[in-house]
Amino acid sequence: MENLLDLNFLIESFPAIISRLPITIGIAVGSLLLSLVIGVAAALIKIYKVPVLSVITSIYISFIRGTPLLVQIYLVFYGIPKIIYFLQSEYGWLQSADVNSIAPEFYALMAFSINLGAYLSETIRSAIESVDRGQFEAAKAIGMTPVQMMLKIVFPQALTAAIPNLGNMFISTIKDTSLVFIIGVIDIMGQAKILGSRGLAFFEVYIAVSIVYWILCIAVERLLVKIEKRARRYERGIA
Amino acid sequence: MIKLEKLHKYYDRQHVLKGIDLTVEKGEVVAVLGPSGSGKSTLLRCINFLEDPTSGIVEIGGKRVDAATAKKKEIFALRTATGMVFQQYNLFKNLTVLQNVSVGLTSVKRMKKDAADKKGIEMLEQVGLSSKLSHYPAQLSGGQQQRVGIARALALDPEVLLFDEPTSSLDPELVDEVLATIRRVADTGKTMFIVTHELNFAREISDRVIFMEDGVIIEQGTAEQIFTEPAVERTRQFLGKAVQG
Ligand SMILES: Nc1ncnc2c1ncn2[C@@H]1O[C@H](COP(=O)(O)OP(=O)(O)O)[C@@H](O)[C@H]1O
Ligand SMILES: [Mg+2]
Repeated sequence: MENLLDLNFLIESFPAIISRLPITIGIAVGSLLLSLVIGVAAALIKIYKVPVLSVITSIYISFIRGTPLLVQIYLVFYGIPKIIYFLQSEYGWLQSADVNSIAPEFYALMAFSINLGAYLSETIRSAIESVDRGQFEAAKAIGMTPVQMMLKIVFPQALTAAIPNLGNMFISTIKDTSLVFIIGVIDIMGQAKILGSRGLAFFEVYIAVSIVYWILCIAVERLLVKIEKRARRYERGIA
Repeated sequence: MIKLEKLHKYYDRQHVLKGIDLTVEKGEVVAVLGPSGSGKSTLLRCINFLEDPTSGIVEIGGKRVDAATAKKKEIFALRTATGMVFQQYNLFKNLTVLQNVSVGLTSVKRMKKDAADKKGIEMLEQVGLSSKLSHYPAQLSGGQQQRVGIARALALDPEVLLFDEPTSSLDPELVDEVLATIRRVADTGKTMFIVTHELNFAREISDRVIFMEDGVIIEQGTAEQIFTEPAVERTRQFLGKAVQG
């Protein structure tokens, strides 16, 4: 008898898929952290109109926005080893790096950080620019250095304001990590593919993996609401 | 002592301060009056280089800073020698009341946290807000926020306090508590510049009144002189009723 679904196979595929969650979450969280650094740096470069760097930053942002993520992943995956190899043979740099032993997870992390960094930079820039000018003035007036002003006053307020946008981008990134199997990373998607070809039951495994993504994204959304509430506690007035 | 010499400020081609010369003795309270747009805020903001003067010299406590050659270090020194109280309070929204007052001590004066908190609490006691230490600015009334603003400015022991219309954003019923706080600070012998439209308050609190118009000090004198017998017709017009009263 022909069934629409092999339910047993579907259910049994969950443990193996879930065992790969750390890879998916690791790439998403790791690239969020790295991209925050990139995003803040790029935002500051544009706000302070740093010569040369701000042109480079504009090109970087425009390139990332104007090319598919999939292509960017391939560029990183094939480009980084070539560049390392070139530096080794031409200049004798990075001799200790063994190109062949670099894990595909590393390329995935790099590709996603570079991609997300460009998008975050615009969000962070407008969040910084939305901080009340009076906050900058008060910080200057008590003698803070620009770095102190940014770290203690401006970033905390800007990042709080940006949480909803950052959160949406983070959730998109979680979903986009489903592309990393193409460079050999076995994340939850990669695992689903393997199981599917082994049992010739692709519909089942993709249903299973979609449920895992769905639950993960709902959980992250909830967490974000909590984080935002906590971060915004200083905004609650007497009312 | 504070000395301003030939202070000029241009915004693009607009000449906003046209050569201000002024010497203020330690402990003097100076009220700055004048119509809106006459350059009062710009004058205060040039004293601590929130705006760079186009030319001229600012001297506070013996340290002379020439606008033409001012270095970052000198500007930081001026800013720690001055405390500013803003019309919009400008409390740090993400910091508690106590942190607002202590953050300058820990980050600018490199004080240990304990000592900074202790001093912060002392300052907040002076403005009557030591019961609100862990509140955030958004949880305070405008008057309370401005009193925290005064405590924040006082905490760094500045040579001079600069008030830019400290009560102009307040609901009328909250003005008195802030004026009372400023009066108490004046009584401790702080040197102060106060830009204000509260003429009675200016008359009562100040040792000297400066009347500005169009980027120039057109008249100055003791509060009594300016309010009872202003020499310049424009001052007389501006003070209107206050002069007769
Ligand atoms: N940041 C600025 N950029 C350009 N013009 C300014 C700026 N700040 C003040 N001005 C102009 O300088 C003049 C004096 O302003 P201000 O010092 O604020 O006067 P007051 O405080 O006496 O009302 C006004 O004409 C105002 O428009
Ligand atoms: Mg003004």
